[in-house]
Formats: sequence, C-alpha cells, structure tokens
Amino acid sequence: MKRAIALFALLGMTTAAFAAAEIGKPAPDFEATDINGKTHKLSDYKGKIVVLESYNLDCPFCANHFKTGAMQELQKEVTSKGGIWLVVNSVNPRNSSYRSTEKARAEWETQKMNATAWLDDSSGKIGKQFNFKTTPQMVVIDAEGTVIYNGAIDDKKTPNHDPRTAKNYVKEVFGKLSAGEKVEPFETKPYGCGVKY
Amino acid sequence: MRPILNILAIAAVWFAVTAEAAHTHARLILSASTARAGETVVAGIHLRMDPEWHTYWKNSGASGIPTTIEWELPEGVTAGDIQWPVPEKLPPNDLVTYIYENEVVLLVPLQLASNLPAGTIPITANVAWLECKEQCLPGDAQLQANLTLSESAATPSADAALISQWKDRLPLAGTNLNVQAHWEKPVSEKLRPVVIEWSFAESVSEADFYPYASDSMEVQGSVERIPAANGKVKIRKLIRKLEGDWPASVSGLLIHKTDEKRAGYDVTIPITATESTSGSGAVSSPSNSEASKPLWQILLFAFLGGMLLNIMPCVLPVIALKILGFVSEARSEPARVKKLGLIYGAGVLVSFIALAALAIGLKAGWGAQFGNPIFLVVLTVLVTLLALSLFGVFEINLGAKVMGSAGTLASMQGSSGAFFNGVLATVLATPCTAPFLGTALGFALTQPAPVVLLIFLTVGVGLAFPYVVLSFQPAWLRFIPKPGKWMERFKVAMGFPMLATAVWLFSLTQSHYGKRFWWLALFLVVVSLCAWIYGEFVQRAANRHAVGRAAAIIILLAGYGYILERELDWRHSTPEQRAIEQSSADGIAWEAWSPEAVTKAQEAGRPVLVDFTADWCLTCQANKKFALEVDSVRAKLQEMNVLSLLGDYTLLPKAMRTELNRYGRDGVPLVLIFPGKPGAPPEVLPETLTPGIVLGALERARQKNS
Repeated sequence: MKRAIALFALLGMTTAAFAAAEIGKPAPDFEATDINGKTHKLSDYKGKIVVLESYNLDCPFCANHFKTGAMQELQKEVTSKGGIWLVVNSVNPRNSSYRSTEKARAEWETQKMNATAWLDDSSGKIGKQFNFKTTPQMVVIDAEGTVIYNGAIDDKKTPNHDPRTAKNYVKEVFGKLSAGEKVEPFETKPYGCGVKY
Repeated sequence: MRPILNILAIAAVWFAVTAEAAHTHARLILSASTARAGETVVAGIHLRMDPEWHTYWKNSGASGIPTTIEWELPEGVTAGDIQWPVPEKLPPNDLVTYIYENEVVLLVPLQLASNLPAGTIPITANVAWLECKEQCLPGDAQLQANLTLSESAATPSADAALISQWKDRLPLAGTNLNVQAHWEKPVSEKLRPVVIEWSFAESVSEADFYPYASDSMEVQGSVERIPAANGKVKIRKLIRKLEGDWPASVSGLLIHKTDEKRAGYDVTIPITATESTSGSGAVSSPSNSEASKPLWQILLFAFLGGMLLNIMPCVLPVIALKILGFVSEARSEPARVKKLGLIYGAGVLVSFIALAALAIGLKAGWGAQFGNPIFLVVLTVLVTLLALSLFGVFEINLGAKVMGSAGTLASMQGSSGAFFNGVLATVLATPCTAPFLGTALGFALTQPAPVVLLIFLTVGVGLAFPYVVLSFQPAWLRFIPKPGKWMERFKVAMGFPMLATAVWLFSLTQSHYGKRFWWLALFLVVVSLCAWIYGEFVQRAANRHAVGRAAAIIILLAGYGYILERELDWRHSTPEQRAIEQSSADGIAWEAWSPEAVTKAQEAGRPVLVDFTADWCLTCQANKKFALEVDSVRAKLQEMNVLSLLGDYTLLPKAMRTELNRYGRDGVPLVLIFPGKPGAPPEVLPETLTPGIVLGALERARQKNS
C-alpha cells in the first residue's frame, strides 16, 4: 500500500508522510499536545537531551517499572539534570487501555510521574515515526537532535524483575551524554507488549 | 493432575496472582504414569487459552515474551530444553508476533538416572507466561505431577496420546531441504532483503521463515513468495540488523503448508553474498525477443501505441469533445485554438512524466493506480461531475469566464481546462493497453531511468499528437457540420459514455469495499444534488448566490462525513477474498494461477494457458470475451486437455507482478501458453488477441509437446 500512497502524493493529493527515525541520524520533528493542553515540539528542545518513553500502564512490562518506582526515579534523574522526558502514549481511542485526558491526569498523579510531559499520541504518529513496537520502548536523542539510542529499557526481558538490578540502557546513555562523553549510536531489540496502534 | 492438598495450600498463598491470569489454564502432564529408572519420560506443559488469547513461541517476535519453565526435580531427574511446537504468525506485518492460540503443549524430556530407587517422586514446574489479546497479562503457576518408578514395564499415562499428538507438531529436521540463501542489495543502512530457496517436491500453498530470537538482528515478519523452478520454493525476507555486520547465517523454521498439513523445518542457513551459480535452482528467463529490439523501434511502438489510445473506449469521449471545441472556435480564433492545443499536449506530457516517475521510483506498473481504492473513489466522483456538466446541470469552469445560460463548450476551453483535459485523457487511458504499448512499456521497465522517461514521453506524444495536429490544421475538420444547435445535443449525448465510465469505475470499488461500496453510489447522488444546487442557484441565479453556495457546501460536507467517512470508511478498504468466477456453465473451467500449478500441469504433460487479468483492465476483458471465451478456442482447449489458469491482478498481488516482469510486461494483459513438457518456456501472446492468434499459439504448443 505504501507504493499506492506515494502514488497519490505524486498525483497532488495530500497524504501525511512520515519520515521514520534512524539511529545516528537527526530525529524527525513532531508536535504534540500533552494531557494539560500544552504543545510540545521536539525541535524546541534542541540543546537538551530528550528521552521518549513508549507507555501503556496496562502492559505488565510498563507496570513493573512503575510499581517498583524505578521508572519514576529514572525520570527524576533525567529531568533534574536538565534533560527532557516525554511519555508517549500511542494507544488508540478504541482500545480498552486508552486514557482520556482526565484519566491520564489522574494516572500521572497516582503514579507520581517525574517526566516533563505526557504526550497524547492516540493517532500513533509519533510512535510510528520512532518505530515504537512495544511498551516500554525508549529513545534517547542528544542535544544536537541526533537519535543515539532506540530499543529496550533494560536487559531483563520479564514483567516481574527488580528493574534496579538490570542494566538500564537509558540510564547508561543519558549518564554518558550528560557527562559530555561521546556515545556511539546503537539500538537493541525492544521487549514488552505490542503498541496498541 | 491436581496438585496434592498440602501443596495446594502453599500454592494458594504463593500464586495468588494466577487468578489475574484468568485466560490461560495450565497443567503439567507426563507421557507415563509409571516408568523405569534409566528411561526418558516426556513432560508436557499444557496451556489452554480462552478464545483469541494467545501465548508466545520461543521467539515472541516484535512484542510479547516466551513462556518459561523452571523445574523443581528430585535428584536423579534432569530436564532437557523445551521443545516448541510450530507456532502461528500473528499480523500486522510490521509488528509480527509468533504465537499459540487455543492450546499448546510445550514438551520437555525428563531423563531418569539409572540408579533411581523405586517409589513415587514429585515433579514440579514453575511456569510463567504472558497472555495477550487486546491487552497483555502475565501469568504463572506452580504445577505438580507424580511419577511412579517401578521395576515393571512403563505404563503410559492418560495424557500419552495428547503428548504424542503434540510431538507430531514439533519442527522436523531441515537437513534434506538443500536450503540456500543469498543477499540482495541493502534497502538502507540497516535493512537488507535476503532470498531463501529450498527444495520441496510437493506443491506448497504457503511458505515462510520464522526466525529464532537474536539480539543482533531481526528477521522481519513480512514475506514475499517468488516464483521458483520445479520442485523449489523461494521466498524473500527482510533482515534488520541491530548491531555489527550483516549476519553470516540465520536460524529458524522454514514453514510449509501443503494440502495435507502445515509443517516447520528446523534450519540454520548460511547467507552467501550473491546467488549461487550452481544453476540447479536458477530460473531461466524465457528468451525475450522484445528486449532485443532496437530502441528506435521501441519508440515507434510507443508512439503508435500512444496514438491508438485515442480511440480506446475510455478516452474517446474526452477527445471527441475536445475536437468539437475546435469547430466552434477554429474559424474565429485560430491562434487561440493552437495555443489550447499545445496546452492540452503539455497536460498529457506532464501526466506521463508523473507516470514515468512512478515507474522509475516506485516500480508501479502501468494502470496500477486502478488497484487503489482512494484513487478510484476520487475518480468516480470526478467523472460523475464531468457527466453532469455535459448534461448542463452545472458548469465546470476552469479559468474560463462563467456563462450565463446553459453551458457551451467554450466554458471548457480555458487554458487550465485544456491542461486538465490532457491530464484526464492520460488518467482514463491507463486502464487500456493499446496494441504496441505493452511491448514498449515492458521494454521500459528493464531500462535505465532516462530511457524509461523517453519511452513514456513518446507514448504521451503519441496520445497528444492527433489532437495537436488538428488544432494546427483545423481545415481537416471540414467534414464536420457548421456549429449550431447540434453541438449542444452532441455534448449532452457525450455525457452518456461519460456516465457509463463512472458506472464502470464505481463497479471497480466493490473489490475494495465489499458490500459497503453501495454507499459510494448514494454519495454520488448527494454530489449530483449539490452540483445541481450549485448550477441552478449559484451559477445561473440572478442573486442570493451565497445561500445556494452555503446549501451546496453544507449538504456536500454532511454527505461526505456521514457516507464516505462513516459508512463507507473510504480510506480503509477491506479487500474481499476474490474467487475465480466462471464466465458461464459451459465456459472455460478457470482455476487460480500459481507458479506451482503451472509446473504441476507441465509435469503431467498438460499444456497450460495463463490469463493475467484485472477488473480495471478493459483490454483484458475484451480479450477474454472475444478471443478466449469463444467456441473455437473452448473446443481446442478441451481437445488438447489444456489447464486454464486465471491470474487476478485486480488488487495488484506482488508475486504476480514479479511474474509479469519476467515476461517483459509491466502490467496486464498478459496471456501465456505453456507446452505440456516439464520446464518448457511459454509463448507470450500479444496484448490484443483474436481467436486466430490463440488457436495458432495452442497449435504450436501441441507441436512442441510431442
């Protein structure tokens, strides 16, 4: 169908075409509204390290990171050091895991999130731009806007481990980047539940 | 095998979470209830999932997690690795997972040491899984079974039959399949196609490769079947590497579906840099006489083909109207007519450049846009509007001045009107492949980009040529009567073929929307109503234009929102399962085309006729009606015991496109006649057929047969 869609772009009909993010390349820009109605544009955060988190609390893999408090700690670590942490919820509105704005705000409170914002991506646009396949899945973008990491949150692929005992890729990449070290861009195979596009 | 009571009490405390995993029921089964020391007993974890819920294979795919088993075994009993039955593949393609639905038994051999004393021993398995439907839930259970060791012969358990049934669903060894794989050019830095080929005697209706899990690469879920030689199966998969170099080999299961069953073969396939030249599996391309023609001859064909497009049924109404346009203006404004002629030509050429860009950049074949539902809907609406404007319901004025009364052709004669007509002529021409054109376009697809562009432009020049020449030499139109009342009538008359075209386009949408396509008809009525309101109360009204305009727009938007978006859901098509239709009871007994069907018939000594066709291809329909489904051809087919296969290209299946390209064609029609001799190449028939051509080709196939 991709071919046919491109065909229409050529025939002058407008179709939304997304450039997908590639490792080591500049991240594609996006604009999205958070659960408080504020607009966030990725390019506005140039000069800061940005972490994207593919999120769905109904997924036991995400839930594990939140109920143990490990995700909130990591969010705090990133945001307190001047980084930006965007929670991306790509669940489509027909799915039972969809969160309305009110429910999302309540969840933000009960989970005691320390992220910069929770973006509504119910259209799946950002998720597809960054090849989100699972929840959780993490992307780290450096201050120049280059995609440095895309993949799993850590190396323990279970919904019931203590995340603090695992090797956390985001922690590692963010730590090095914020210390001014160079990180060779890399990716890992994400694990978790499929994103509910 | 219920857990014994005291264990149950502990389990209830420990595994209160199992209640959460309400959609999978797990139990531990053993192949034997009594066994002797030194033997091997097979244990099975029997997972039964509620409808639509699933658990995962050892490579869960893009998401999910494999089921794990931790054993608690008495000394002297050792558990082997899990043996995983062949899983199912769960779409969507970009998020493929490998799963078990309904139920599965994961098998584990338990080796009993030879010095185990007699008595009953407990076998305990801690099983953890992820079950998913719309949501995912983790589940775990501590499962228990007892095994009695005795000196006497082993006795199978009540579950022995179930275990042996699931043993039959384990992957087989793939050592005899002679699997080979080679790389193709990388698509991007990280993505590269690999072609896997293996030997298999039976005809395979479905072939795939399910990879084992790897941290350094992902074999993507999508699969493309490629036509292969006799007794071979060939597929293309995409590999995405996560780190390091391109892998030197891949491990996983080759999946086969034959008439009888679906089976998986365990393989590790080394990937070579290029296709091995052993030749055993290579498909020899049939000698392509067309490719060897010199370029000037191809261009001549392209030009002639383009010119002939003018008289194809889909283009004729547009052209006829254009020519009428001269009659009214040629005498008074010859310069203007020349200018408009050239603009029309430019419209045609620009459209052909776009088509060439598609052919080069996207490898989209000639006419392929008619396989796209969105294009069809837009074009159906457009052509309906054109028909209405010919009937005088309203005026289409593209850059021309608005006429006060019933439409005249002049309103169609603005510069942008002429350009638009050029584009429209091209768009309507694509479902027809005129004689000569197939050769030229087929040749084009093997050529470098500049040559492709040149060929397409030549077709465009051919299409525009008669009209442009006439606009410079209107004297040649002297046989047409003086302008007058008849022109208005002619214009309205031409609305009918245009309306017929709209009906035809409308009928094509059925294969994309199924029964829903009737909503489009209703939308056309709404569009017509709006066109009338616009014509009557805006264009021809003396005052209060704004009210009419607002009414038209509101009705149109409401119709669009309710009918197209809500009911038709026009941006999401649901392609129907297309069945092969027989033209009539005594017609040719068509069967569905597949490369295997051809090979099989040839091996049985039967000649094969293959008709690649599509609903939107008018030339194909004409061929079928006038050159294939005729008594003389039917009789000959029957007499020679020919197998007639129909390749339906309506929804543009990829495998078929590969096949078309093999014979130097870029689209349908393509008719092939294979002699009934294993591996013999077919005769490629011309685009437009007569019964004589078909009968001649069949006779030649018979001679090659013997």
